[in-house]
Amino acid sequence: MSDNKTSEMRFLPIIGLCMLFPFLRMFGGEMANGAPFTALESAFLIPLIPIVIFPVIAILGQVNRGDEAWRDRFKEGGMIALCSLAITLSLTIWLAIEFFTNGASFEEPLRQSVFNWINFDTITQDAAGNWIHLQSDSLGVGLWIDNVSMMLLFVASFLCFLICWFSIGYMNTDPINKDRNHRFYAEFVLFTAGMLGMVLADSFLWLFIFWEIMGLCSYLLIGFYYERPSAAYAAKKAFLTTRVGDIFLLIGLLMMYDIYGSLEFAVIFDDPSLHGAVDTGMLRCALIMLFIGAVGKSAQFPLHVWLPDAMEGPTPVSALIHAATMVNAGLYLVARFVPFFDVTSHGHGVEGLGDVAILIAWVGGITAFMAAIIAFVQNDIKKVLAYSTMSQLAYIFTGLGVALWFYNHGEHHAAVIAFGASMFHLFNHAMAKGMLFMASGSVIHEMHHAHHDAHHDDHGDEFDAQDMRNMGGLASKLPITSTAMAIGSASIIGIPLIGGFWSKEGIVAETWNAAALHGGTWLLVPAFLILLTAGMTGFYMTRMWMMTFAGKPKTEYAENVHEQTPWIPTPLITLSIISLLGGFVLAVLGATHWLGEAEALGTAIHEHGMVVAILDAIVHAFLPTEMFLFLITWVAITISLVVGPAMAMRIHGGRLNSGETAPRLISWILPLSSKFGRVNVDDLANSGLADALHRRLYFDELYEWVIAKTVIPLAHALSWFDKNVVDGAIKGIEFGTQKISRDVRNLTTGSASDYIMVAVIGTFSILVLLWGVI
Amino acid sequence: MIPAMYLASLGAILFCIGLMGVFTNKNGIIVLMCIEIMLNAVNLNFVAGALHYGDVTGWVFAAIAIAIAAAEVAVGLAIFLSLYSSRESIVLDEVMLLRH
Repeated sequence: MSDNKTSEMRFLPIIGLCMLFPFLRMFGGEMANGAPFTALESAFLIPLIPIVIFPVIAILGQVNRGDEAWRDRFKEGGMIALCSLAITLSLTIWLAIEFFTNGASFEEPLRQSVFNWINFDTITQDAAGNWIHLQSDSLGVGLWIDNVSMMLLFVASFLCFLICWFSIGYMNTDPINKDRNHRFYAEFVLFTAGMLGMVLADSFLWLFIFWEIMGLCSYLLIGFYYERPSAAYAAKKAFLTTRVGDIFLLIGLLMMYDIYGSLEFAVIFDDPSLHGAVDTGMLRCALIMLFIGAVGKSAQFPLHVWLPDAMEGPTPVSALIHAATMVNAGLYLVARFVPFFDVTSHGHGVEGLGDVAILIAWVGGITAFMAAIIAFVQNDIKKVLAYSTMSQLAYIFTGLGVALWFYNHGEHHAAVIAFGASMFHLFNHAMAKGMLFMASGSVIHEMHHAHHDAHHDDHGDEFDAQDMRNMGGLASKLPITSTAMAIGSASIIGIPLIGGFWSKEGIVAETWNAAALHGGTWLLVPAFLILLTAGMTGFYMTRMWMMTFAGKPKTEYAENVHEQTPWIPTPLITLSIISLLGGFVLAVLGATHWLGEAEALGTAIHEHGMVVAILDAIVHAFLPTEMFLFLITWVAITISLVVGPAMAMRIHGGRLNSGETAPRLISWILPLSSKFGRVNVDDLANSGLADALHRRLYFDELYEWVIAKTVIPLAHALSWFDKNVVDGAIKGIEFGTQKISRDVRNLTTGSASDYIMVAVIGTFSILVLLWGVI
Repeated sequence: MIPAMYLASLGAILFCIGLMGVFTNKNGIIVLMCIEIMLNAVNLNFVAGALHYGDVTGWVFAAIAIAIAAAEVAVGLAIFLSLYSSRESIVLDEVMLLRH
C-alpha cells in the first residue's frame, strides 16, 4: 500500500509538467515567431489531443499487454490518459483566463475558424435548361466560445481529469480488469474528446458529430464488462434508446438546414431575417425534434429507461458519462435554443413558441417527480444516484423551459435569472454528482475488497457490493468518503448555503414566478412537481447516506471495510471543497447573471464591495421581495432541509457501534438521526406502490409490450420478405446461372476429335455464310 | 493432258478421306497419317491451279507445303513419342487433360 502511495507521489511532477503545456506553447511560439500564441488559437487542441491519444493508448495497450512496466509504470494507459487530460485541463484554464481578462469580448462569443472542411456549390437548372450557380457553401470546423460553453468546457475537462485520476485507483486495483484497462482508458479519452468537441462546436453539425461520438463511447463503456449478459443488455438498451432521440435530432437538424440554409451558430443566431421571415410552425417542429434528441441524451421522460441500467458500467464511467458530462449534452442543446425564443429587445427570436417552452418544462417536471419517487425504493447505491441524476437534470430542463417561456414573453430580466440559475445548477450538479458517484465507487470498491479479503475467492457466493442493505455503519471506516458523500448529498438536496442550494432555489422560485405571477397557468404543474421533488430529494439522498454510513453494520463484510486504495481520496477531497464552497463563491460572484446575460463575474463585488455582495446574494436567495416567492422559497427550504431528511432519518438513521467515531465534520449527523426515533415501514415497503416503484413504474414492461406489438411483428414480416422475395430473387439468379453453366460444360468433352469436328463445322458454317454474302 | 478439274476433284476426295480418318480414328499415328493425306490433297489442288493458270506460284507453294509437312510430321511424332513414354498409350480419347 505504501508503494502505491509513493507511486501516486512519483507521478505528480509528470502531471504537473503536463499542466505547463500552454506556457511551453506560448513561450515556444514567442521564441520561434516573435509572436506568442493566444489561448484561443490553441483551443482547437482541447478536443484534438484526446482524439490523438485515443489510438495511442489503444495500440500501445494491445502491444504491451501484460507487460510489467506497462502495468505498473503506465497504469495500463491510465498515466497517458491522465497526462493528456492534464494538458487539456490546463489549456481550458488558460482559455478561461483569457476569456475573463478579455472583458471586451463578453458581448460577442469568441470565435475561431480552424479550417473549411468541405466546400460545395449548389447549382440548379433555369427555365432554359442551363445549369446556373446558386450559392457556394462550406462545412467549416470552428470554435464557438461563450459563457455557457466556457462553463461546460471547464466542467467537462476538470471532471474528466479528476475522474481519470480516480479511475487509476478504482480500475487498476481490481483484478477483474487486469490487462484490459487500456480499453477503458482509450474509450475514456475518446469520450473526453467527444464532450469537449461538442461544447466547442460552432455548428449544429459538429455538435451532432461529437454527440454521436459520446453516444458510441457510452455504449462501449457501459458494455465494458461485456461477458456479463446484464452489461451487454444495458449497453444495447442505452444505445438503442438514445438512438431514438438521435433520429429525431437528425430530422430536426435537417429541418433547421431547410429553414436557415446553414447549421452554423453564427448564421442561425445572427440571422436578422429571423423575425417574421421564418415559418413559425416549421421552426416549432424543428425545435421539438431537437428537444426529443436532448430528452434521449439526458435521460428524461419518456426516454429515461436507459440511464438506470447504464450503471452496469464501471463506476468511473457512471460518474463521468452518466452523471457529470454526457447527460448534460441535452441540456446544452436546449440552452442553445435561447436565440430562437428571445423576443426581447436584446434578440430577434420568433414569437409564439411559448408552447415549446411549456413542453420542455412539463417534461422536466414529470421526470423530476417520477425519478425521485422511484429513487425512494432503490437499494443499489448507484441506482439511487442514477435516479437522482435524472431528477436533477429534470430540474434544469424545467428551469430552461421557464427561461425560454420568459424569453418568448419578453420578460428579459426573469428569463436571464431562470436561464442563469439552470446553467448554474448544471455546474453544481455536475460537480456534486461526479463526486457522489466517485464516493459510491469508493464504497463499492472497499466493500468488494472486504468481501474478497474474507473469502479469497470472488465466485463463491452471491454478494452484491452495491446493495446498501449489505452496508451500514461505514461512517467511521470510510471517513473521507462519508464526508464527501454528506457534502455531495447536501449540495444535491439544496441545504442552504451549500452548492446546489443557490441554483435550485433560483429554478424553483422562477418557475413559480412564471406560473403564478406572470400568468403561465400551464407551468403550474411543473412548478408544483419540482417543489414537491425538492422535499423528495431530501428524503432519498438522506436515506442513501443513512443506509450506507449510519447505524450498525448489516453484514460482517461491512465491519471490515477500510479506506485504503490510493488515487481515490484526492478527487473526492477536491470536489468536496468545490461542492461545499463553490456554489456560495460563484453566487456571490454573480454566476447566475454571468451565465444568463454574460455580465462579467464579480460585477457586484466591484461595484458595492465584498460584504454588500455577500449580503446581497443571501438576501436574494432567502428573502425575495415578492411575498408569494418568499413563501415558496421557505416552503422549499423547509421540506428539503427538514421534512425529507427527517423522515429518512426516522426510517434509516441510527448511531454507530459504540467506540467508533465518525469524522468531525459529519459526526453530529448520526446522534441527530437517532433522535428521531424509528418507524417500521415494512407495511409500506411491501405495498403495491413500492412494488410498482421497484419495477420502475412499469416503463420497461410498457416499452417491451409496445415493441412486442409493433416492432417485432414488423421485423418478422420484413424477415419473411427478405427470406422469400429478396433472397428468392437472388437465389433464382444463382440457380439459373449454375444450371446454364453445367449444361455448357457438357460440351467440352476433352476429346480432340470432337474439337476438330466442331472446328470443321464452324469453318463450313462460315464458308456458307460468306457464300451468301458474296 | 488431264484437265485441272479432275485433279481438283481428286484433291477434294482425298481431303474428305483424310478428314473422315481424323474424325473416326483414335490412334494418334493414323490421325497423323490422315492429316498428311489432307495436306497432300491441298498440294494437289495447288498443282492443279498452277496447271490451269500456267503460273509457277502454285508449284512453289506445293514445294513449301511439302517441306512444312515434313517438319510437322517430325514434331507430331516427337509429341506422340513423349506421350507414349509418359502414358504408355497414344489413344487420343485418353488424352483429356483439357476437360475440367
